[in-house]
Amino acid sequence: MPKFTRRRLIQTGLAAGAAIATTRCGAQTDAPVGTPNNPAPGPEVNANKMKDVTLRFIGTGVAQINDIRDKAQEDLGFKIELKALSTEENNQIAITQPGQYDMFDGEYFSLPLVIPSGNLQPIDVSRLANFDKIVPFFTTGEFNGMPVEKAQGTAPIKVMYLKDKDSKEFSATPTNWATMVPFQYNADTLGYRPDLVGREITSWADLFDPAFKGKTSILDIPSIGIMDAAMVVESAGLMTFGDKGNMTKAEIDEITAILIAKKKEGHFRAFWKTFDESVNLMSSGEVVLQSMWSPAVTAVRSKGIECIYAPLKEGYRAWGGGIGLSRSLEGAQLDAAYAYLDWVSDGWVGAFLGRQGYYSAVPENAKKFMSAEEWDFWYEGKPAAVDMVDPFGATLEKAGAVRDGGSFEERMGNVVVWNSTMDEQVYLVQKWNEFIAA
Amino acid sequence: MYQPWKTAKPYFLAAPQTLVFLMFLVFPIAMIFIVSFWQFNIYSMTPAFTLDNYIGVFTSGATLPTYLNTLKYMVLVWSLCLAIAFPVAYFLSFCIQRESLRVLLFLVCTIPFWTSNIIRMISWIPLLGREGLVNQLLLNLGVVSQPVEWLLYSDFAIVLGMVHLYNFFMIAPVFNSMMRIDRTLITAARDMGASGWDILKEIILPLTAPGIAIGSIFVVTLTMGEFVTVRLMGGGQSASVGKLISTQIGSVQYPLAAANAVVLLLATFALVIGILRVVDIRAEL
Amino acid sequence: MPPKTQSMPTQTTLDPVLSPAAKASTPPVTGLVAAGVSLRSVTKRYGDFVAIENVSLDIPAGAYCCLLGPSGCGKTTALRMIAGHETVSGGEIVIGDRPVTHLPPAKRNTAMMFQNYALFPHKTIWQNIEFGLKMKNVEKAERSRRVDEILDLVGLAHTAQRKPNQLSGGQQQRIALARALVNRPQVLMLDEPLSALDENLRVRMRSELRKIQQQFGLTFIQVTHHVEEAFSLSDQIVVMDHGHIEQIATPTELFNKPASQFVAKFIGDNNIFAGKVINSIAQPNGQDLIELDVAGIGTLMCRGVATPNGSEAACSVRPDLMHLEPSELAPGSMLGGAENFNRSFARITDVELTGYVTRVSLMLEATGQPLLYKTTTTGWMQANLQEGDRVAIQWAADDCVFLPY
Repeated sequence: MPKFTRRRLIQTGLAAGAAIATTRCGAQTDAPVGTPNNPAPGPEVNANKMKDVTLRFIGTGVAQINDIRDKAQEDLGFKIELKALSTEENNQIAITQPGQYDMFDGEYFSLPLVIPSGNLQPIDVSRLANFDKIVPFFTTGEFNGMPVEKAQGTAPIKVMYLKDKDSKEFSATPTNWATMVPFQYNADTLGYRPDLVGREITSWADLFDPAFKGKTSILDIPSIGIMDAAMVVESAGLMTFGDKGNMTKAEIDEITAILIAKKKEGHFRAFWKTFDESVNLMSSGEVVLQSMWSPAVTAVRSKGIECIYAPLKEGYRAWGGGIGLSRSLEGAQLDAAYAYLDWVSDGWVGAFLGRQGYYSAVPENAKKFMSAEEWDFWYEGKPAAVDMVDPFGATLEKAGAVRDGGSFEERMGNVVVWNSTMDEQVYLVQKWNEFIAA
Repeated sequence: MYQPWKTAKPYFLAAPQTLVFLMFLVFPIAMIFIVSFWQFNIYSMTPAFTLDNYIGVFTSGATLPTYLNTLKYMVLVWSLCLAIAFPVAYFLSFCIQRESLRVLLFLVCTIPFWTSNIIRMISWIPLLGREGLVNQLLLNLGVVSQPVEWLLYSDFAIVLGMVHLYNFFMIAPVFNSMMRIDRTLITAARDMGASGWDILKEIILPLTAPGIAIGSIFVVTLTMGEFVTVRLMGGGQSASVGKLISTQIGSVQYPLAAANAVVLLLATFALVIGILRVVDIRAEL
Repeated sequence: MPPKTQSMPTQTTLDPVLSPAAKASTPPVTGLVAAGVSLRSVTKRYGDFVAIENVSLDIPAGAYCCLLGPSGCGKTTALRMIAGHETVSGGEIVIGDRPVTHLPPAKRNTAMMFQNYALFPHKTIWQNIEFGLKMKNVEKAERSRRVDEILDLVGLAHTAQRKPNQLSGGQQQRIALARALVNRPQVLMLDEPLSALDENLRVRMRSELRKIQQQFGLTFIQVTHHVEEAFSLSDQIVVMDHGHIEQIATPTELFNKPASQFVAKFIGDNNIFAGKVINSIAQPNGQDLIELDVAGIGTLMCRGVATPNGSEAACSVRPDLMHLEPSELAPGSMLGGAENFNRSFARITDVELTGYVTRVSLMLEATGQPLLYKTTTTGWMQANLQEGDRVAIQWAADDCVFLPY
């Protein structure tokens, strides 16, 4: 290979744009970091400059919603362009095409992949208005001594901070430099059709109950699917893990062997990859019990089909989303991005997403924008005093209903594992492919 | 007299096509080829020359079953497409006399392309699902007592989905070949005492062979790289090389995906060359 | 046009195109027996359109018969009905003594040679010729023998393993002929067999076809719109127009005595005068002397079968049978003392030397009608006339054919 190609690490995609991406990435690494050392320049001056700013915002469908964009543009005065992607595409663009976005709405578990690319710039925590109000399991790793403090996998706190403003290394203890500002998150579990299952689902192990042979499903995204599978095999007593969030090769071999055996038995009806697929599988009755995302359960219910998001005795698998800033942001654009981060934590968005069942990183601010009935239902686990209506006007729950799993504390406090990127990620994908091919 | 413009003109005229060809075909493939030799770990890839990715491809337990599975789909889809396309094209070109009716019926064959891939795939569920129309019918007729599970999320469903999607790619070239057969050849054969079956076997089939070959190339290349239908109709439970590559790309393992892509490309090339060795398609070009 | 045929040099200087075997006086191919073909009141309808109307025709065994006519006259339809590729709407077709009206093509003992030869492009020459034998389940060794024999006959044995597109047009034509003959038909049908060839080859192939027909002694029925081709090949010419037969005649009869205005015009160059019958004088030989009144010219005399006075009719004279003379000469002086002759004045408008023959365009003084005169080039030189000259034209009543319709 020619010399220059060895000179440095290059992240690049297979697309034709890879060459451009590479050049830009290199240039940015060499240039001094654009963050001005003087925080908070005069707000009036900025407000004028910010009017001409357009921020390109990539993320998954959860928060890439036009209503949120419109409200943000109205409140902040600059333009935001949305681009909704799948989890996988989102990560790929974050890593390989830094020129394509200004803000990145991603999951914490993808940070071990994204951060080494150097495409995100560390966020100056001291510039954030609401950082100290963020739920503590993000910022300090603590949460009333509940199980979530010891949760396995890529817990947000493990990848929340960088050692320094130029560092690509995660810091185990809080620093002034954050990777992302937490945004929305949730505790995932199994969803089921009570009418077709015929009993209460209380354990992850129920997914392997022979009674549901040919009627179950899990996620076909290796990093996420393996976590659900790990919860299942562990609670079924089929195997134990040192750390489910960071399996050894032997553990990966063992769990894949179990999955392959189950697949050959015909235990799974299908695997799903997108939100819509999981909704279709459940509402058509093809699948009666599967790992699901909270709003997917809501979507099934809104079709008039009973669906329960089971609180399980072993606890939840959680995911956390946050907003990171592109390395290329500077000047007025960077100021605008910081303004957006503050706006996101300010409560309006938290309330908006809260009405769909997601949790806000700053619940106390979200509360200001929610009615007392909404707050009680979504966060406190109390029966709905009135019908619960989502931001788009659809009635999700009738008065009297109670949120599956109960209050915020009961749900998030009982998270035992987060979505993960493991050290043996490459091996995991290979074994996952073997599982699919079996 | 030396006229530089006249000499350069053909090159200028050919340049846009060549550039498009280079940029959108040669460059990406070259890129894939190069990347397939790079090193990678979970975070990043490094330009280098390593055969590890290829060693990975050939030693992985997933490779052989996945390729065999893909070949299985290819053979099934190809033979079913041919079995359906030949009579359909024959009917269109030899049994329909009115040109307008023929055009109309040919357009009917394109109906599968009138909706998006995703919508087509989703609409199989109410048809083939456990509570779908086919199962309802079978249950009502008393043919089965339990819903038939293998109608959906199975190899059957995958093959059905692909045949549905790709049949037209076989019908069109076969139909084209048949339309180009000089009708007096058939009169001549009949004049010499050939029966309908003789005419089919001795005249129509050999003269349609180039069309069948072109259709086969379409169907084979499309099926070999297929992953969307495999995932949606197979309920994510069935493997194909395309799906394997897409999973690797989804997990940001580009060099491995690239190595797999190169192997798939070569395998597909081998199949296409095989087809071209059996049938001379120049007559159709 | 007739002078051209009469003096065609190519016929005498023809290259030998047949192999030595083909030139042998005794036919080498056995098992060929010619049969006559009869059409009895045959009609073909496509919906309301009548393509062939009540056609009756007898083609003797061993004859070379040409169906001649403009495109759309029904000649190809007639041929295809005889071959069995077209159903018959009414009437009967008999080949030899067998009614074949409803038999499939292969059961009629006919073979057809197509306009574009219809050789199978994917089969070798050998396989093309073998095809019919194979379809008729002729035993393999016999097939092989007969294919080789016919290939030898047409002198193309060396092309046996080639594909049709590797052969020249003439070679393809001979293969098409061989492929038809190998099945030993009683009647060979040829649909415009020469139209795909260029002029030179056409003339050579024409003579070759005639030779093969004579050598095999088969009945050949050929469709053509080419008058010269029909004249040079046929024993019998059937002129067709609009789905019915205008005239059935030998080439000589057709040349000398066209039966109708259509035929006279179609065979070309004849000078035709339309008028009304004013008098008929019966003759014992059936060649009645008929007087026509032609507007602007006056009375013209011609020979034919008498029709009632007042009938609309016409007469025709061949351009080579007219006589031109300087206008000052006495009438009839160049007609060798013919009793009845026609005379009129014209001006020479154009002289065209085409080789042996010179074509002289004239304009009739009285009516402005254009006429054509043909003479040998030598004769023209001696006449010492040129463009613009006023001349007297004369032709004998015996050379003038009465056209009843």
